[in-house]
Amino acid sequence: MASLKVENLSVGYKSKKGLVNAVHNISFSIKQGRSLGFVGESGCGKTTIGMTLMGLLPENGSILQGDIFFNGNNLAEFNDKKWRSFRGKEISMIFQAAMNAMNPVIRVDEQIAEILETHHPQMSQTDVYDQVKKMFRLVEIPEDRLRDYPHQYSGGMKQRAIIAMALACTPKLIIADEPTTALDVIVQDQILKEIKQIQKETNISLIFISHDIAVVADVCEDICVMYGGQIVEKGTREEVFKSPKHPYTKTLLDSFLSLDSKGDIKIPEIREAPDLITITERCNFAGSCNCKCNKCNNQTPGWVNFSSTHKALCFEDALNKDKND
Amino acid sequence: MNKNHSIERFKKGWTIFIKNPMGKAGLFILSIFMLMAIASFFVPLLGPVYHPMTGVDPDITYSTGPSLQHWLGTDFIGRDLFVQLLEGAKVAFIVGLSCAFISVVLGTAIGMISGYAGGVVDTILMRIADIFMVLPSLVILLILASLWELSIWVIIFIIAIMRWPSVSRIIRSQTLSLKSRPFIEASRVAGASNFRIIFRHIMPNVLPLAFLYMTFRVTAAILVEAALSFLGFGDPGQVSWGMMLQWVWSSGHMFQAPYWLLPPGICISLLTLSFYMLGRAMDEVLDPRLRKEEEGQ
Amino acid sequence: MRTKKFIFNKLLEITLLFFIIMTVLFFLFRAAPGDPITRMVDPTLTPEDIKHLIEQLGLNEPAWRQYIIYIKNFFTGNLGHSFHYGEPVSNIIMARMPATILLFTTSTLLAAFVGVVLGKISAWKKGSGLDNFLSLSALICHTLFIPWFALLLLWALAYKLGWFPLGGIISPEIWIQDTSIIIKVLDVMHHMFLPLLTLFIIHLGSYLLLMRSSMLSVLKEDYIITARAKGLSNKVIRNKHAAKNAALPVITSVGLSLAFSINGGALTEQIFTWPGIGRELIFAVSNNDYPLAQACFLLITAVVLIANLIVDLLYAYMDPRISY
Repeated sequence: MASLKVENLSVGYKSKKGLVNAVHNISFSIKQGRSLGFVGESGCGKTTIGMTLMGLLPENGSILQGDIFFNGNNLAEFNDKKWRSFRGKEISMIFQAAMNAMNPVIRVDEQIAEILETHHPQMSQTDVYDQVKKMFRLVEIPEDRLRDYPHQYSGGMKQRAIIAMALACTPKLIIADEPTTALDVIVQDQILKEIKQIQKETNISLIFISHDIAVVADVCEDICVMYGGQIVEKGTREEVFKSPKHPYTKTLLDSFLSLDSKGDIKIPEIREAPDLITITERCNFAGSCNCKCNKCNNQTPGWVNFSSTHKALCFEDALNKDKND
Repeated sequence: MNKNHSIERFKKGWTIFIKNPMGKAGLFILSIFMLMAIASFFVPLLGPVYHPMTGVDPDITYSTGPSLQHWLGTDFIGRDLFVQLLEGAKVAFIVGLSCAFISVVLGTAIGMISGYAGGVVDTILMRIADIFMVLPSLVILLILASLWELSIWVIIFIIAIMRWPSVSRIIRSQTLSLKSRPFIEASRVAGASNFRIIFRHIMPNVLPLAFLYMTFRVTAAILVEAALSFLGFGDPGQVSWGMMLQWVWSSGHMFQAPYWLLPPGICISLLTLSFYMLGRAMDEVLDPRLRKEEEGQ
Repeated sequence: MRTKKFIFNKLLEITLLFFIIMTVLFFLFRAAPGDPITRMVDPTLTPEDIKHLIEQLGLNEPAWRQYIIYIKNFFTGNLGHSFHYGEPVSNIIMARMPATILLFTTSTLLAAFVGVVLGKISAWKKGSGLDNFLSLSALICHTLFIPWFALLLLWALAYKLGWFPLGGIISPEIWIQDTSIIIKVLDVMHHMFLPLLTLFIIHLGSYLLLMRSSMLSVLKEDYIITARAKGLSNKVIRNKHAAKNAALPVITSVGLSLAFSINGGALTEQIFTWPGIGRELIFAVSNNDYPLAQACFLLITAVVLIANLIVDLLYAYMDPRISY
């Protein structure tokens, strides 16, 4: 039973140049307790998905079509009031802590207590505080740092505090948007381990958004590769990384440095940035794809299935041709 | 390359500026006042009756309302109000612009040096700036007025010295951020002297900001000078809007002919408003973040 | 304790600054055209009295000796003798201080408070009719010429409508009689209304605009998104998260605009004949009452410096990122 099911979701932003289709016709689902990663370059729409799932789109953004089914609710139809009771309680978000994600003039423990007091007004002060302490223990921040201000925390601690804040009301789904991007590698490793562990312990569903494939590969069981506002490939971690099918996925993986493939790096040649404003009958990636087929420029690609969980948005013959290269 | 680049930037800035309603309004009002100021040179030529200070109409020696001869009427000793208003415009522009110019030149130079040099020089200069910033200009002018008779240029100069600190702070922080940019490092490595770096490289980047702050300085200067004249300590040989208000008040005419209050007061407010609006529109040009947000990603 | 050290340092700074200003004034008084002695001693006194005073004030001593006497006199409260009033200057100053403090603090606090609240609402409802109205009004208030505005108010509300007295701080009839304290207080407030209104409106504009722009930049900060993500109500986000941060620059600006406020205060006192230090200074300058003018000037300077100190401390207290 899927806990989150997104169907044909399109999200757009109004801009001077026209409507920017940040996310176009995507569908995916997560089972409770699983982790799904969204990977892609900047501008591919992955952050928009995160924001849409929290109802945090800016003024000029809106859901153009589609449904978001979550535990019996359709989030696409939520109004402000409904969102306020939902956010932080059923769905939580973990932001990049390098950002000014915590209010600089309020103590950290108060900021975490606040979310509890908002969603559980009947809790007593002592209960609230106990929960706050429990959260800090969970993310391994020493208790004597509870009363500090955010600027007194290191980057890693800030990130942990934000995780604690997201978990405080035991949500069913957590969206983590680039949570480790600004941290150094060692701290990044620690945080990722903690996220995985917490997820296993609490059976929370996790959506992990990042441009860093290595990190996504580490944490997520299922992957969605995004390009130009669309999901171009989805599957389990092993399927996508060991046998990538979509030309973009292959490009992405090829340009990824790993210690044992130093000599084999292929610098991708991206000739054309995807046009998000006009939707035409063609493949978004056609301009930079190696396949050089005519079909890609004239027809919208469809889903090609490779297994019950693995599929790519392309044309069968194009994929086969690529395989032979 | 540099000249063309600057012209391009200017043209681009101009389009943004002119689209801004505040910029348009400010510019419009400002041009009216400019016309008034220019007219003040010519109107007295029409006859001795139209001299702002001494132009007493032999037929009228008391205050009157608007008439064909005197468009806005006359003041309490029969001088034409409209001419005084024009003269006041001239004075306001001179005071405002020269004060602003001096304090901006001073503030920019000190700000650049302070930001670039850093260390002890920076601390000392900024301390001095703090001192000047704290002191109330009018009060200082008053105590000086008790000792000396202040001519208009002395007043201008003193106001300018009191107001440069706010400019220097902004310029200093701008300089600090420019200082660490690669192109400055490059010139240093190439052996450019500090002087050259400051004036050839930092200054052009800092100037637009300096000009912006000039508009704010103008408003402050006009208001202080007007206040001083209003209290009766301005340059006695110079008619200004503040002085006009002083006459209304001290002659007691305020109560019988209150309408006389309006022209100079409205002029002061409108002129300062227009400079302020100009400044805000320029602000938008210089700081892209302030522009009507580019919607979309 | 570190706070004490911080305060001590600041106090030291302003004392030093004050000394410098006193010194500069000392030299100015002697450098100006005319006989400096006429600045210290009323030339209309009898020759014996003049001679006596010259000796008492040490005015025929060398300059550096005079300087020491000058400093000593100031700090022992001997501020000289007013030419006009014929009284020790300190008496006059003491009598005028309360009026200025009353007007000044009330108007500043009121304007700051209302300005912050309105600026907060204006920013939150950016682009709405309310915001445009408030912003435009604030802009106009900010650029008003104080004497002009004061005169208009005086003419309209005091003269034409007769709702308020034309000036002064009290109605002598009420205070001579044995009326209750409440009536006396109301009388003062009645007199204070117009000058208070003038200063309030002028300063309201600046505080509103400042709070509005501060709030607008705070609302773009990431922790506001976090606050929304937590599911907090708009009211809580606006007040607890945004306004608290946005108010900080406004506090600094209170300090910076003190100079401007003092200017305005003096002008207002003059027009409404409010018997404060500002008006006294203007009066002294017009009448060449040098001892009085000098004392008023120094006092105003002292007030400005101390007020700045208080603002600095307040800011450091409110922003936890400032370590002292």
